[in-house]
Amino acid sequence: MGAGSTLRRISPFLTIACLLLLWQWISARGIISHILVPPPTDVYQAFTDSLADGALLKHTLVTLEEMFFGLLLGVGIGLAIGYAIAKAPILENILSPVIVAFQSTPIVAYAPLLVIWFGSGIASKIVTTAVIVFFPTLVNTIVGLRSVSPNLRDLMRSLKAGRWQIFRHLEAPSALPVILAGLKTSTTLAVIGAVVGEFVSQGSGLGYLVTSARNLYDTPLVVVAVFTMTAISLSLYGIVAYVEWRFLVWQRRSSA
Amino acid sequence: MLILVRLIIVAAMWLGLAATAQDEPVDERILLTFIPNVQFAPFYVGIEDGYFADAGFNVSLAYLQEPEVLDLIAVGQANFGIVSGEQVILARSRGRDVVYVFEWFQKYPVGLVFSSALDLSDLANLKGMTIGIPGRFGASYSGLTTILGSAGLTEADIDLREIGFNAPEVFCLGVIDAAVVYVNNEPLQIKNLAADGDCGAVSDVDVITVASQVDLVSNGLIVSRALLEEDPDTVARMVAGLASALRSVIDNPASAYLASLAHVDSLPADEALLNALESAAEEQLEFLASAPDRGDIARSRRQLAADLSERFERGALTQLNVLLNTIELWDAENIGYSDLSSWEAMRDTLDSMGFLEDDAGSLQDMFTNRFVTGADR
Amino acid sequence: MTLSLRELSVSFRDPSGCALPALGPISFDVKEQEFVCVVGPTGCGKSTLIRVLAGLLPASSGAALCEGALIDRPMNQFAIMFQDANLMPWRTVLDNIALPLEIAGVSRSSRYETVRALLPQLHLEGFESAYPAALSGGMEQRVALGRVLVQQPRVVLLDEPFGALDALTRENLGRLLLRLRQRYTQTIVMVTHDINEAVLLADRVIVMSRGPGRLVADVSVDLPRPRTHDMIYHQAFLTLTKRIRASIDDLSA
Repeated sequence: MGAGSTLRRISPFLTIACLLLLWQWISARGIISHILVPPPTDVYQAFTDSLADGALLKHTLVTLEEMFFGLLLGVGIGLAIGYAIAKAPILENILSPVIVAFQSTPIVAYAPLLVIWFGSGIASKIVTTAVIVFFPTLVNTIVGLRSVSPNLRDLMRSLKAGRWQIFRHLEAPSALPVILAGLKTSTTLAVIGAVVGEFVSQGSGLGYLVTSARNLYDTPLVVVAVFTMTAISLSLYGIVAYVEWRFLVWQRRSSA
Repeated sequence: MLILVRLIIVAAMWLGLAATAQDEPVDERILLTFIPNVQFAPFYVGIEDGYFADAGFNVSLAYLQEPEVLDLIAVGQANFGIVSGEQVILARSRGRDVVYVFEWFQKYPVGLVFSSALDLSDLANLKGMTIGIPGRFGASYSGLTTILGSAGLTEADIDLREIGFNAPEVFCLGVIDAAVVYVNNEPLQIKNLAADGDCGAVSDVDVITVASQVDLVSNGLIVSRALLEEDPDTVARMVAGLASALRSVIDNPASAYLASLAHVDSLPADEALLNALESAAEEQLEFLASAPDRGDIARSRRQLAADLSERFERGALTQLNVLLNTIELWDAENIGYSDLSSWEAMRDTLDSMGFLEDDAGSLQDMFTNRFVTGADR
Repeated sequence: MTLSLRELSVSFRDPSGCALPALGPISFDVKEQEFVCVVGPTGCGKSTLIRVLAGLLPASSGAALCEGALIDRPMNQFAIMFQDANLMPWRTVLDNIALPLEIAGVSRSSRYETVRALLPQLHLEGFESAYPAALSGGMEQRVALGRVLVQQPRVVLLDEPFGALDALTRENLGRLLLRLRQRYTQTIVMVTHDINEAVLLADRVIVMSRGPGRLVADVSVDLPRPRTHDMIYHQAFLTLTKRIRASIDDLSA
């Protein structure tokens, strides 16, 4: 490993460090009012305070719970319907008006309706999350399954493979890279879904922490909550990327 | 010859410019909260009927969340905004130097709505009930805490559910016993639902207002301290303009409703209602010319509501009735005036809620009545 | 196993629904354990022929028979090898070769045992856990050949299996095929456009015409076995290849 690759490896952290310094400098010099941009030191203080009194952890866990079940539901349904559509293209004609309408309507616009329909508890946030992650999963499942090589299908037929064997040995592994790519998108969207739900009906979670901190004029805490969302988003992305790296060994070699 | 003509033209233009510079109203943006709604009628009347122009302003309106209104004014990106009183105390405790110069709502607009079948003549009966609230923040939460406090209860004595701004729907589903609402609006909606049989077992509702328990400082006009100190004249003119507009709405709600049509898209206004309101507004002008007192004017408003309810469907009058309900929260002998005791009560409420970690600072610094005396009738 | 084509023809439909004849009518027989090569210009329907024999494509008219039974779906004891090695990129060499056994429900340990025993003949020792992306084209085809052998088929269908490889690799694979044929005698139908390859490998060469593919020559190759690559310089070999080339040239004339 040469000096160049070390530099490349640490450069993202350098970028973050530089931004933090710039941020501190701007607020220390009073270039932008602290009311609008609190200094990093205040944000750090708010971070340790909210960690100490358990509020940050509590709200983070709530958001994570909503995201977990939302992903489970949205990805599950996306996979199932995606498989059905890939197998029976007529379903695409039947379902696409509904699916496209759902997708092209901003979730923020109908999130209040979801709250009325599914209540102000965790269910409505799970549904907003599920709705938002459903579409990328669906599309990637269809694309993944349709990208299965027709020659390999012939091979499986010539081997007299059954429907389940074709799914297990051919369709699933060959669609997996595309589906995992979709899952990366979905996990970041899941944060949006959960937080949109929390904005609409207050209770707990990081979206609520933003609103309540905002209403107490605690801008540093708002920034802490926002950064926590970023961290969740990045972590989940990282987890899926790791799963990808771990399970798609064959792709790693081919790209090397 | 030509030069002379040119000179005359230039001189005329210069004179003209000088003249307009003196009379031209200054562009000024007022930051409101919520969405365009008939409850903001004083601002619509101020614009449509020239009260702001008379004060030297060309006013435009924007609708934001309360914390954003407050921050924009604190950093000087806007001069005027409307927020509720507790926001001023909270924001000042976190370094926003704003001053409250005009109390628009004389009565705190929050209350508790519940089925008439429930006996809440003694507020202690709230113990153990399930109560819905938009969220644990803002005027609703302060209001509820105050009501509970005056009954000797705390939040621990009730089952508090955060329901967002969906009180009518959630209440009518029957999952809560009572809801914290804006008394001028949601009770009316729930009454309408109940009258149509769409509110479960509830056939009618009653309301307990915060104002009936404690006088809390309510929504009003804020400015930054910088503006107050550098340009008190601008503040004085804005307060005067708003006071005149507010008085005009209180005196002539039919006319105010008509002025609001230009600003609120969804206001019901079929031709029959418009005609009725126009003639009511004209009659009211004649009535006002006879110099009636506050009581007479209040009676004239009730008469208007009664007359219209005989001629129109309930649904068509909902927004007008919201306006009439809201006027009752505005009307006072000294409009714009806020009392130190109402600030103290609000501070104590916030303190009991644990919202004031830091020292809130001197209450006297937070508001001033120096601009409102002239607005008294 | 014997194969026979009876007035077999296949036509496809173009987007406007018109029938496009692709093959036949064509008739010939393949005897038990015979190695037949089908040669012909591009577009003569050779691959279509293989797909019909493999049971992957239905005949439009006529029939393909195996031991007198109609081939209307993939048959038992048939194995097919494609022009493209057609390996699963997510499976190692070992697992790619073992795929037919896995689908047949053979236990993991016994299928690995079978495959490992086969690897030396395919010159794939040491590559068991390599992924296809790491293999050369020749190695990929050896894996594909292993996947055929592991099925212990009685009929092998080869669709231009070495078509995409360079000349030297082709020769190597041809030699490997011959050696393996000595060990596992099967009925083989192989499609190729390389006349030398056909003559060197086959017992019989069928020459097909272009669009739609018809039989134009049926040449017996009476060269002795085992065959070596040196035979391409023999007079008998040259006579045969000349004859076949002439029948193809007649077509284009």
